[in-house]
Amino acid sequence: MMKKLSIIAITLFTAAVIISCSDVKRQPGSVYMPDMANSRAYETYADHSNLTEAGIFYNNKPVAGTMARGEELPFHLTKDAPGDTTNYTAAKLVKNPIDSLSAAEFKETERLYLINCGVCHGAKLNGNGPLYKDGNGPYAAKPATLVGDAKYEAMPEGQMFYSVAYGKNMMGSYASQLNRKQRWQVIKYIKLKQAASKASAAPAMAAAPAKDSTAKK
Amino acid sequence: MISYRSIAKTLLLSAVLLLGSLLATNVSAQDGKTLFSTNCAACHAVNKRSTGPALAGVEDRWPDKTKLHAWIKNSAAFLKTGDVYANNLYNEYNKTAMNLFPGLSDKDIDAILGYIKSVPAPGSEKPAAGAAAPAPEGDNSLLFGVLTLVLAVVALILLRVNSNLRKLSIERSGEASEEEIPFWKHKSYIALIAVVLFIVGGYLTTKGAMGLGRSQNYQPVQPIYYSHKVHAGTNQINCLYCHGGAQEGKHSNIPSVNICMNCHMSINEYKGEKIYTEEGVEVDGTKEIQKLYKYAGFTVGKPFDASAAKPIEWTRIHNLPDHVYFNHSQHVKAGKVQCQTCHGDITKMDEVKQFADLSMGWCINCHRETKVQFKDNGFYSIYEKFHQDLKSGKIDSTKGITVEKIGGTECQKCHY
Repeated sequence: MMKKLSIIAITLFTAAVIISCSDVKRQPGSVYMPDMANSRAYETYADHSNLTEAGIFYNNKPVAGTMARGEELPFHLTKDAPGDTTNYTAAKLVKNPIDSLSAAEFKETERLYLINCGVCHGAKLNGNGPLYKDGNGPYAAKPATLVGDAKYEAMPEGQMFYSVAYGKNMMGSYASQLNRKQRWQVIKYIKLKQAASKASAAPAMAAAPAKDSTAKK
Repeated sequence: MISYRSIAKTLLLSAVLLLGSLLATNVSAQDGKTLFSTNCAACHAVNKRSTGPALAGVEDRWPDKTKLHAWIKNSAAFLKTGDVYANNLYNEYNKTAMNLFPGLSDKDIDAILGYIKSVPAPGSEKPAAGAAAPAPEGDNSLLFGVLTLVLAVVALILLRVNSNLRKLSIERSGEASEEEIPFWKHKSYIALIAVVLFIVGGYLTTKGAMGLGRSQNYQPVQPIYYSHKVHAGTNQINCLYCHGGAQEGKHSNIPSVNICMNCHMSINEYKGEKIYTEEGVEVDGTKEIQKLYKYAGFTVGKPFDASAAKPIEWTRIHNLPDHVYFNHSQHVKAGKVQCQTCHGDITKMDEVKQFADLSMGWCINCHRETKVQFKDNGFYSIYEKFHQDLKSGKIDSTKGITVEKIGGTECQKCHY
């Protein structure tokens, strides 16, 4: 009797073990003597909440009013309060400190554009990136058509910078993803692309004014 | 005479061109969808609140069609007339001024309104029946386990039957049966079991000891069900959009809430393919986005204030021991290694798991096999001799320079 019972118990136990074994590993596993594995210093993404209790006073922000070497000068306009457009309008007068992009800079800026902007504004800058897809993507608002829309082709670079830095309508702020120099470079890249598309469209248009000029003689 | 003719020709030509361009604008009045897309879609969706209100049923909401037309053409001027509905609307949408559209004719506006009417309400079209839930993985191993168990039981029963039959036949023939030894006392059985236990036990012990401190396939439950497959796969968001720190420094950063909100200010529901946890439980994507809004302190329709956001405590998956130095930018920026080389096919993972075991053997192996991208890479211009040897053919350029050759397997490269 006892023997039968024990056989039944063992069978049930094995079955339970087999069933409970899943491929999903939700626990990291164990460590043996992690003396040199765990950092003594405070690492990035470690729990920093008790630093003050440990007697450490650390503020991870740079000292106010200082800037890194080689960094572009700060943008002096602050973000407008909702419903106010004073600084957005004032931004029109701010000049882009980047005058031109070298071939290498252009390539790098294009890479930055494709990573950060292209997903909405499209690789061709036509406002039709993979998130919008002619309205079939998950993003409901149509991103700005950067090339081919007179409004954005006429928009001053300073105002574009304002929008990239602080966000505009449904677009968020990109200040945490692109530093000031990169933001100005990306805007220069957009302006260069706009100029290039106008130049390539020009030959067709240029034919008509050329005739006009001869006619005036 | 000739010049007069040419002037006449040019005038005619320019007149035709002018007329053509005028006609073009007239023709476009018929295409409400195009007009909507170029003028309105940046701030309005038909069935969803965006920067401005959802436009479905806009004509029913406005008391008067002439007022609606006036509002669309010049919202600023219309606000000044003191219209109650318009002013309430302006305040409800955080005083975001609507652009002025003096260029739109009444016909254009009617075309747009006609298009808005023609768009079906959401839910009226039935969603395509989603694919059946995928069979949870691990099913096969369970099946094999049960099969093995059943076969083992059958084999045992057959053995018992066999021995019983033999016993019976011996008794029949009347020969004196020798004393039966039960199998748990049988020497050969014991020896066999001992050998099997030694092999299995040895294998498990070694494997367990090597696995200490390694966590390949670690796939923790995260505070928000964030699917990399949906974001990086379906929606083609670049890895560096969120983890831009990987090209800047040692750590690849975990994106802060404001980066999520760049898109999720607008995307507040999930309508893609069905998503499941690893255990096969279906996940409601919209609810997961609501969780994000809780962390972000964001309510739909109000402006997002990043300073009110609280960090999400994601569970870290990849962890290297402190005695190893690893730098992301060195691999991503200088080495131009793809993220997927070490992190696996992230674009196909709903829940991310640790792809590589991150053991030293794995690192060293890659350093031995991977060629350094010497060409057009300013980072390695200092290795002048290698560059010369490559040019002169002393080093086979098809084999190239491995990471090992520039010191990638030296102890101090990573342990110091």
